[in-house]
Amino acid sequence: MQVYLPIAEMSVDALLLLGIGFGVGWLSGLFGVGGGFLLTPLLILIGIPAPVAVGSGANQTLGASVSGLIAQWRRGNVDPRMGTVLLLGGLAGSGAGVQIFALLRSAGQVDLAVSLFYVVILGTVGVLMMRESLTAIFRRGRARPRRLHEHFWIHGLPLKLRFRKSRLYISVIPPLLVGFGVGLLSAVMGVGGGFMLVPAMIYLLGMPTSVVIGTSLFQVVFVTANVTFLQAVQVGSVDIVLTLLLLAGGVAGAQFGAALGTRLRGEETRALLGLLVLAVAGSLLWDLLRPPPSPFVMGPAL
Amino acid sequence: MIRVALPLLALLGLLLPGAAGAQPARPVPPPVAPPSLAAELSQSRIEVTTAFTGAEILVFGATERLIGEEGDEVLVQAIGPIQPLVVRQKTQLAGLIWVNGASARFNRVPGYWAVAGTRPLVDLLPLPDRQAHRIGLGQIPLVQLGNQGADFRGALAELKQGAGHWVSEAQPIGVSGGRLFHARLPLPATTPTGEYLVQVFLIRDRRILARQELTLVVERSGFTAWIAQVAEDAAVLYGIACILLAALAGWLGSVVFRRG
Repeated sequence: MQVYLPIAEMSVDALLLLGIGFGVGWLSGLFGVGGGFLLTPLLILIGIPAPVAVGSGANQTLGASVSGLIAQWRRGNVDPRMGTVLLLGGLAGSGAGVQIFALLRSAGQVDLAVSLFYVVILGTVGVLMMRESLTAIFRRGRARPRRLHEHFWIHGLPLKLRFRKSRLYISVIPPLLVGFGVGLLSAVMGVGGGFMLVPAMIYLLGMPTSVVIGTSLFQVVFVTANVTFLQAVQVGSVDIVLTLLLLAGGVAGAQFGAALGTRLRGEETRALLGLLVLAVAGSLLWDLLRPPPSPFVMGPAL
Repeated sequence: MIRVALPLLALLGLLLPGAAGAQPARPVPPPVAPPSLAAELSQSRIEVTTAFTGAEILVFGATERLIGEEGDEVLVQAIGPIQPLVVRQKTQLAGLIWVNGASARFNRVPGYWAVAGTRPLVDLLPLPDRQAHRIGLGQIPLVQLGNQGADFRGALAELKQGAGHWVSEAQPIGVSGGRLFHARLPLPATTPTGEYLVQVFLIRDRRILARQELTLVVERSGFTAWIAQVAEDAAVLYGIACILLAALAGWLGSVVFRRG
């Protein structure tokens, strides 16, 4: 069944979009991530223009994260104070990101920039995940005693604030910077950024894992809302029909994925996710390296 | 005084019979020749709805004489709305990755251009005539800004044809009953919206004998048109609506599909 997307100005198979939504939703439910990092490249792969893929990808991630945030909030797994600090950085970062995006678009380099960002970020995150999870799998059974969190130079910065839920007393500068960076990537890549935010919160800020998922969802929901708004106003590239079709498949898939996810061990899940992240990065890298199918491309003049 | 009056009188004398209006034998207008060409579009409005997957422009009509090599020939050309385009050349950066390099801008590119004839174009009309009337893909007027070079122009034509926006004699004009013709020009799903001009030429002995121009509108309609309109005219409202709709859909979906 073909459906015409009003903003992308093209006709796509609705079942294909539902299927992609379901598949990505299933994986995101399984691994507990938003799935935007899989969705945007897949949309570009089926021929959706990169700006629309990024704008609608952010919008879809917003929808996919809302129910998770509500559930985590009810269980008291959100640190609102930390979330707000992260969000302030995130709003500034996503605002800057959309400006950069608009500039890149008029220079005709959006596709390159989006692909490069994906290759670098996903490649790095994938390698780190694989290494961490493989180490954990091989060291299984030989548990080391760990301190609550390690102290290093970050904890010497000024402007300290008490984050009671996270059991932290740290400077607001690192969370602001983390929020800014993730917000910027969110705007350029059309992702929520949970896959970068969660490790940053655990390893950089030293937050307890119990509040990490909820607080990252808090940041993701509001930052993707901001990206959606700015992309819609400044670039005009959010396709609500595309978003809703992806969401319809996505929310269904997420529930099935989550059901399976509870039966897998943490290290194995993380290793699989790392493998998946690396595969996406690899295919995008291949697209940059191989000779293009046509030596010329055309696009609308802005 | 007299010198002036004399030619005046002469002039009056010349004019008088006509001015009197007593002439009964006015020149009879030549009998109206039946039009040598009559063409019409099957629809003058093509609606781009949510289910739009492309369409076709159907031009039909009749000629005075039998269509064939010794008689009349028909040529149909459709031209879509003008749009500005940039063509970029892919270049390899540091011998590794492919990036968009040099670019050329074309400010007035016809978003659609299709031509069809009862016979191949080259057999129908000599090149000078095709140039004068801008018939055929080779005669599309293009002004190239920025990077010069024929490569960009050729690439544009290739990309446009690849996308189905420029169509060169995809299907010859069909003829039935000797004098009835019908031309089908395919419109791809990505065809630009706006006004289209359809030109129909009657050709005899490799010369244009008559031409007729028809117009066609391709416009977004229904839900699709409404969304595109809102997104453009009220971007702020549209952005907020996208946020709320996505949040609502995500929440609703998780309620509906919740297991256990």
